[in-house]
Amino acid sequence: MFPSLVYRTGFAAIACAAHILLAPAAKAEQDVWPALRQQTFGDRQIQAEDGAVILEIPGTAEDASLVPLTVRVPPAVTQKLKSLTLFIDKNPDPLVASLSFGPAAGSGGERSFSTRVRIDMFSHVRAVLETEDGILHMATKFVAAAGGCGAMQAKDPDAETVDLGKMIVKTFPPALSTSPIWSSLVMIKHPNQNGMQLNINTVDIIPARFVKEMTVKRGGELVFQMQSTFSISTNPNFRFTFGRGADNSLDVVVKDTDGAVFTAQSEPSGS
Amino acid sequence: MCERRPISRRNLVEAALALAASPLLRYVPAALADQADISEIAPGVFVHQGRYEIQSPENRGDMANACFVVGRDGVAVIDTLGSAVAGRELRDAIRAVTDKPIRYVINTHMHPDHVFGNAAFKEDDPVYVGHHKLARDLASRADRYLAINKQMLGDAAFQGIEIILPTLAVDGMQTLDLGARSLVLETQPTAHTDNDMTITDTATDTLFLGDLLFSVHVPTLDGSIKGWLALLDKLSRREAARVVPGHGPKAMELPGALESEQRYLATIANDVRRLIKEGKTLEDATKVAGFSERDAWKLFDQYHVRNVTAAFAELEWE
Repeated sequence: MFPSLVYRTGFAAIACAAHILLAPAAKAEQDVWPALRQQTFGDRQIQAEDGAVILEIPGTAEDASLVPLTVRVPPAVTQKLKSLTLFIDKNPDPLVASLSFGPAAGSGGERSFSTRVRIDMFSHVRAVLETEDGILHMATKFVAAAGGCGAMQAKDPDAETVDLGKMIVKTFPPALSTSPIWSSLVMIKHPNQNGMQLNINTVDIIPARFVKEMTVKRGGELVFQMQSTFSISTNPNFRFTFGRGADNSLDVVVKDTDGAVFTAQSEPSGS
Repeated sequence: MCERRPISRRNLVEAALALAASPLLRYVPAALADQADISEIAPGVFVHQGRYEIQSPENRGDMANACFVVGRDGVAVIDTLGSAVAGRELRDAIRAVTDKPIRYVINTHMHPDHVFGNAAFKEDDPVYVGHHKLARDLASRADRYLAINKQMLGDAAFQGIEIILPTLAVDGMQTLDLGARSLVLETQPTAHTDNDMTITDTATDTLFLGDLLFSVHVPTLDGSIKGWLALLDKLSRREAARVVPGHGPKAMELPGALESEQRYLATIANDVRRLIKEGKTLEDATKVAGFSERDAWKLFDQYHVRNVTAAFAELEWE
């Protein structure tokens, strides 16, 4: 029969390092959040659903390997932001991404961050926002989706590594020219391999290779630095807001788990 | 989970036109007739039409077309339905027509509704035939396909399903000899999936398109929308006495058979390209792109948003 069934439980261990790892069967049953929360935030209080952070994600994902996720911080929240952490409780590595915001992240309008994620099985998805005052705010949604992570495959694996590292960075001025909040789109051509698939021809596991760090700067000032995992979909795609500056061009540096570094600058704004 | 919508008038009209336009469809079927709803669409070419449904305990994964071609020396099966149970019924139907050995079991691509009946033919010890990328792709998806189908088919219909990969991997063009007739296999570039293969029965000039052609049942995109449109353009210039879709009537005629699918895919591509140009997001696109096609297809609500998602992720890199 089929080697992947036998080896499967081993795959997750290869792919993920720091975070909670459980055998898939145990994980389906267990509420991992208390342990995950303790590990990430210790004994700090978290204000759940207090309106400071809004999480948008479809309740039922049509394609579990490509689920659009958006985090919004409504304009009523006027503080600067310190960090944003995204979790998918039941994924092999529940940590999706963790962002530390810098001085160019902006304030004075609605701020947002969007990406696309893989969801391995029915799971809670969480966004934990840390505002400047050190308070943690959390929004949670339950998503019915299955098979996005452990079984995530490229539609055309041979086309996947073509142009690896190619990036597109665009910036968009606000609709209202007086708004201090700009937005940006960053696209990275990268398979974001999760290390859970078998190459049937060689009977080897296709090694994990994914984007693990992204740094975005506006005119030398930090917008955010992000640590990420393979829960981000193939060809990582990010839309986010940043604060208006004198020059609104962005520099983006991406590092993957193989140590490759990719850099890009935004095209002229509005393009 | 799956709300069913009645077949639209447009579908019926299209299907009726397709039937009326194809005189060979009136070829009188051989003896089996009612068994497993199989028709002989041309001498020695038999097609079972799958249901326009998603898999369920009731349909036992019988939701794609399955065919067989009888030669002087043996039989070739083209796709095996979505379970060993349904595959077994297909085998019984073949045995009602002929006792010649089943030499080949050909899979047009990797999807479960076309390969999960493979196990029903193990006792025939056939050569299993597929695109050279099928093994890799099906193997890497096997866990997920098995889990989903177990859940959707239920235990009874899931019984006996095995992943059986091709023992003959085709790359390019290859001919299988059935005695006094041969099948020409052609692997295709990435379109519906990255492992689509077409088959021509040279004796009757019948072209089996697998899921490169959907009719009535909404197309499902698991490969490349650009590749699929380009391939359809090429196929529309091809000649064949008849084509057999992977989902749809038992036989159709070129080039008209392809037109609805071409229109559906082109509509998605055009809408998605325009939205990308306007700076819209994937989420925006899944709410509007291609919805003008909603009444033209069955199972639109089950597959369309996924199609738009895949198209967007591909076309945003243009």
